Amino acid sequence: MTEPFLVARNIAKRFGALTALADVDLEIRSGEVLALLGDNGAGKSTFIKILAGAHPPSDGELVIEGSPVAFSSPKDAAASGIATIFQELALSENLSIAENVFLGRELKRSIFGIPFLKRKEMRQRVDGLLQELDAHISDPEAPVGSLSGGQRQAVAICRALNLNARLVIMDEPTAALAVAETRKVLALTRRLAARGCAVVLISHNISEVFEVADRIVVFRRGRKVAERLAAETNHEEVVSLITGAHPDVRALEKTN
Amino acid sequence: MNAVRQFRNGVISMNGREWSLLVACLLAIVVFAVASPHYATSGNAITVLRNSVELLLIGLGMTLLLAMGGIDVSIGIVMGLAAIAIGRVLGADGNPLLALVVGPLVGALLGCVTAAVVVLGRVPAIVGTLGLLGVYRTAVFVLLGGQWLSGLPATLTNLLAASVLGIPVPALVIASAYLAVWLALRRTPYGLHLLAIGNSEEKARLSGIPVVKVRFMTFVVSGVLTGIAATFYVATYRNVEMSIGSTLALDAIAAVILGGTSILGGRCSLLGTVLGVLLLRILQNGLLLIGVPSLWQPVVTGVLIIGVLGFEAISNRLPLARFQRARA
Ligand SMILES: Nc1ncnc2c1ncn2[C@@H]1O[C@H](COP(=O)(O)OP(=O)(O)OP(=O)(O)O)[C@@H](O)[C@H]1O
Ligand SMILES: [Mg+2]
Repeated sequence: MTEPFLVARNIAKRFGALTALADVDLEIRSGEVLALLGDNGAGKSTFIKILAGAHPPSDGELVIEGSPVAFSSPKDAAASGIATIFQELALSENLSIAENVFLGRELKRSIFGIPFLKRKEMRQRVDGLLQELDAHISDPEAPVGSLSGGQRQAVAICRALNLNARLVIMDEPTAALAVAETRKVLALTRRLAARGCAVVLISHNISEVFEVADRIVVFRRGRKVAERLAAETNHEEVVSLITGAHPDVRALEKTN
Repeated sequence: MNAVRQFRNGVISMNGREWSLLVACLLAIVVFAVASPHYATSGNAITVLRNSVELLLIGLGMTLLLAMGGIDVSIGIVMGLAAIAIGRVLGADGNPLLALVVGPLVGALLGCVTAAVVVLGRVPAIVGTLGLLGVYRTAVFVLLGGQWLSGLPATLTNLLAASVLGIPVPALVIASAYLAVWLALRRTPYGLHLLAIGNSEEKARLSGIPVVKVRFMTFVVSGVLTGIAATFYVATYRNVEMSIGSTLALDAIAAVILGGTSILGGRCSLLGTVLGVLLLRILQNGLLLIGVPSLWQPVVTGVLIIGVLGFEAISNRLPLARFQRARA
């Protein structure tokens, strides 16, 4: 077995008195789709925000390819090859598609020491990415605020692809999508993994998860309560893990 | 050729709002010309343009601030403080170079103070700058000791009333400032970052934008522009009065909003700001000439702000409303 791309050790996150995460250990491997499951408020988004550099952990450490990292901003995480598609998408509705895809790491040329945008190059690169995604967007200059939910998701995915990320994290990417667009996103997660990328997928749709995931991790009340290979579990077991009806979870929650 | 078209389409391309402002300016000129025999003279045209210089410079900075979701209601008094500093240098018979740089320098410094309060201290911009307004007002009073600075030497006046290749220096400076701000806004990462912050600070942060740096810098830029405005003010009037700049912030915010910049941030128009400033100054000047006391000027400005925002709300053109609906 190769070394995991990222190891999270003892991760905890407290918001004031509220403990959103406690003691989470997790390994994320390249070439693998890891599904993160759990009830509303289980701590999934909080966990990936720590991976994305959006929140500092209250406790624990992140190790990327053997060396510990500490992200003080999303830019740091991006620099380590982590691209995140947040649940709330984090796109700027007033900017165009190309501007959003490159926001925060624009292509630029320096003239008299002033960085000027390479607008044509950015536009061309985005056209290529949109084509690769098979996303039909009539006017790439339109503000992202005027796009449909699926089109926005495509823009967010372009952003991740454009980073050439080693780890792509998607927080409920299909929640707002119609059937055809959902299929495209799922196919894409597989393609990313096939390229050697590590993928973390958060979803409430269990059949969807079984379609694409290699491994399944279940969060409950801020703790990781189970980890299974997708091939070695089934729909019912996963449901009982999420709801806490599973004997393993009951045993765990009794000891805590 | 292509470059020329690109320039036209970008730097000075006009949208509906900007056309309406232009038409409003022309209409106001026609009405005033009919109403007053003193109005349509070249002397008065120069007066209007002259009176627009400070507001144009400050308006450019205010456009950036509003586009970023910020505001600065203390900006007029900041110009006052910079003007006092320039006056002191001139009064001490300081050298012309020092007189030229002290304004922008003090502006930058006060911009840093504002940014420290609003950006680093995380006080909402409207509240933070309102607080500073109170502090600065007293500072102006104390510094002037209840007396005007008057009869200042004409050092700056001689420099800034000159022409280069037939173009007056103020016009050159304003054109350069406009172009520089336009380039920063539309052609550099800074402009994208500023607009993204105006749309949503949290999303901008998640996108990896250095939010604090961009916001800090913008307050400093606005301060520098205000310092340049102070330099022109002192050059023109050669005095600094107690009430200096007291209506400037209101005028600047009005002009910027008139120009189509969103009060909620995320969208702006520099050309709109220029036209908004001109319309405001044309109205103020024209009303004065047809006999309306200058006491009424802030009323006109206030009514314009309320009118524009009310109109936008009613016609559902409140900037970003469309996006918010799409998001919901
Ligand atoms: N910034 C914050 N400040 C305070 N509490 C927070 C913050 N972010 C999340 N929480 C709390 O942390 C807990 C976990 O939330 P989180 O968003 O991680 O859940 P989730 O598993 O993503 O749920 P969902 O499936 O609904 O998206 C919740 O109780 C939430 O209210
Ligand atoms: Mg969530």
